[in-house]
Amino acid sequence: MNSMMESAGAAPAPARNKKGAGLLKKMAKRYDLYLMLLLPLAFYLIFHYGPLYGLQIAFKNFNPAKGIMDSPWVGFIHFERFFDSYYFWRLLWNTLSINLLSLLIAFPIPILLALIVNEIRSRTFSKLLQNITYIPHFISVVVIVGILQALLSPTAGPINQMIELFGGTPIRFMESAGWFKPVYIGSNIWQSMGWQSIIYIAALSGVNPQLYEAAKMDGASRLRRIWHVSLPGIIPVIVILLILDVGHFMNVGFEKILLMQNNLNLESSDVISTFVYTTGILKGEYSYTAAIGLFNSVINLILLLLVNRFARKTSETSLW
Amino acid sequence: MRKQWGKYALATMIVTGLIASGCSNGNSGDNGNGGNGGNPGGANGSNSSEGGVKTDGFPIVETPITLKMFTRVAPVNGPFKDMPVFQDYEKLSNIKVEFIETPTDGFAEKKNLLFASNELPDAIFRSGLSQLESIRYGTAGQLIPLEGLIEEYAPNLKSLMEQYPEIRAGITTPEGHIYAIPGIVTLGSARTDKRWINQSWLDKLGLNVPTTTDDLYNVLTAFRDSDMNGNGQADEIPLTARVGMPIVNQMAGAFGLDSQLGYNINLEDDKVDIWSGNDRHKELLMYLNKLYKEKLIDQEIFSHTEAQFLAKQGTGNTGYFFDQTNNNFLSIQDQYVGIAPPEGPHGDRLHSQILPVPRDYGAFAITSVNKHPEATMRWIDYFYSDEGSTLLRFGREGEHYEMKDGIPYYKEELLAVAEAQAKITPYAGGGAPHIISDKVASFINPPQVQEAFEALEPYLPEIRYASPMFDEATAQQVNILRNDIDKYIEEQSTKFIVGALSFDKWGEFQSTLEKMNVAELEKLYQEAYDKMDK
Repeated sequence: MNSMMESAGAAPAPARNKKGAGLLKKMAKRYDLYLMLLLPLAFYLIFHYGPLYGLQIAFKNFNPAKGIMDSPWVGFIHFERFFDSYYFWRLLWNTLSINLLSLLIAFPIPILLALIVNEIRSRTFSKLLQNITYIPHFISVVVIVGILQALLSPTAGPINQMIELFGGTPIRFMESAGWFKPVYIGSNIWQSMGWQSIIYIAALSGVNPQLYEAAKMDGASRLRRIWHVSLPGIIPVIVILLILDVGHFMNVGFEKILLMQNNLNLESSDVISTFVYTTGILKGEYSYTAAIGLFNSVINLILLLLVNRFARKTSETSLW
Repeated sequence: MRKQWGKYALATMIVTGLIASGCSNGNSGDNGNGGNGGNPGGANGSNSSEGGVKTDGFPIVETPITLKMFTRVAPVNGPFKDMPVFQDYEKLSNIKVEFIETPTDGFAEKKNLLFASNELPDAIFRSGLSQLESIRYGTAGQLIPLEGLIEEYAPNLKSLMEQYPEIRAGITTPEGHIYAIPGIVTLGSARTDKRWINQSWLDKLGLNVPTTTDDLYNVLTAFRDSDMNGNGQADEIPLTARVGMPIVNQMAGAFGLDSQLGYNINLEDDKVDIWSGNDRHKELLMYLNKLYKEKLIDQEIFSHTEAQFLAKQGTGNTGYFFDQTNNNFLSIQDQYVGIAPPEGPHGDRLHSQILPVPRDYGAFAITSVNKHPEATMRWIDYFYSDEGSTLLRFGREGEHYEMKDGIPYYKEELLAVAEAQAKITPYAGGGAPHIISDKVASFINPPQVQEAFEALEPYLPEIRYASPMFDEATAQQVNILRNDIDKYIEEQSTKFIVGALSFDKWGEFQSTLEKMNVAELEKLYQEAYDKMDK
């Protein structure tokens, strides 16, 4: 939706010297299009910008009986409390490292999958492959974590039984800090690679077939064709998706982490979003957690701006 | 490449939509319909029966009224509207209660959102409010002070509070307000878990009941190694407990560690001593670590659910565990016997896990939107009489229970149907606002449980102080300190016990606790203790 609004807003930009009058005239002429725009605009104003005024409770001592406006201001107390908290660095590190690892390891995999699917000649087989890989996306997180627990159980899990069969000692995957990140990211890849590859597959089908034919004529091998035709063809999509991924960099998959968390892996599974849930919702510390949430969003915004700028400089593709 | 931009617009749009909605999740739950509060004390001091509320006798009101109550439903319960107590009591009192039922899972979340959004019911029943919550919502004006109403409209509760002064001390804020009523347990046996040991296994091995921690270690080792159930597999569980920290509290007494004031506190000569991180605490964790490493403690003790724990009791495949009643292993109850706590290496022999008379703090509270606070108070007060408690716990005479020697017993037909008993009463699952005395305890306190309690009695602490009530500012301060400290202690204790953290790191544990300012917390508890009526 954003991009639509932006392109609509960007269209009259060349006519800037004529200023407002020209724009108004144009708007009057295409009033029907602008009317259509009104609805999504209202949606964003009401549901996404309106609630922002509640952010002020991060600087207040929120008292539900008094409401948001009438709660007393307290300045940066809640931020200070968070920065001074014993858990601050651990939360920040876990949030960042889980995301960075996901980005490094999990981001390229759907691209690889899409390239493979694209190269498969047999339509039935490629359809089958696609279906199999994206079915896990439709399984609920609760079930996924249940499956993980059953699969990785140190006593009855098939993986540990296999390890024992080869003479190893069972590993407590779900109850060790060291294994948390591999299990979390690995299962994420399994669950979402098929789904995420759809966009790449769509983009690949848009690459001009003449380019492939020309490359073939020049004697390019299959790998060469992927490298010189397919990949450059989908680079803009990859960059956009990368930027968007960074957009929720700090919002890690909250439900899944919460479900996988226990005291033994907390050291590497304690992230900002679960901390906000356990102290904010369960213990009713709304102002404190609003402050943490705000901090989280600010960091995220900075990251997004940085990556966007970097992308614009290096590949001419960016969100704006 | 730029030309192709348009082609990807659709894909981009979808994903952008996802992001935008993801970003705004941060802080919901604040519908600012303010200006509802500022009503502390508003419900006080109505000395005559207002609005047709009678100060005694039934019905409570002449013209029927309806109250909305938010409540928690445990997995074992049925719907509240089908429970005989609420059906019959509605006819008796002329007050219809519509329950907003929330399952135990996710209850804390719903409860807090209720207050944060200020969309309040008339009262909350079986609400499990913490002290901080009741003080916070009370001073905010969302809960009304009840002390005046108790005086006028709660004869049963009032007489209990006179009989047991610790109730008033445990629920009154420093400013003199009562924002929540506790579940009251005068029956000592219902305030502590018994120590159940598998007597038939002991007999089979020719062993005596363990009386020291070393004895216990040997007995558990024998349980592990002797294939007690004879199936050729080492699948016996020598020792188990509820998930998480309870095992620490159960064994703390043997190392001279008490739990006064509702926290890890020893009281000596009126001095508050938070024992977390001291040498005895280390010894305790080392002992548990030894048991865990040698597979004497259930390896699932930090992950199993309540239901799994209860099921383990019923299998008869467990050597030693802790629970309040024998209700979960009735079919094999003859195998088990309740024993005394073991004596520790320094000669300490204490069963420190016993709760105070106002056992379930914050079980019932009335909100500021309630138009009939007097009638509501009278409604709840009935459950603090033996008669009302009988109705709540046992249902209808003749249909669900019969009287023997003046106290109610469930009928055999009801008990014969699996899980039927817990369906008809809101007490099953804990935390209901009512009185539990020896008059209503035939089911939870049968002879076997009484004997198990008698075995513990000599080793109970002389006096048990409940968590002190702080004023709002102090409560907030305690909360900030305890949030970090408790989380840290729990996480590190778990790691010490399973061996994920070596005891070489004990110094680090101590110094971190120091950094988290345990000394300040100790000071706050000391001040609260000094102010308490003793």
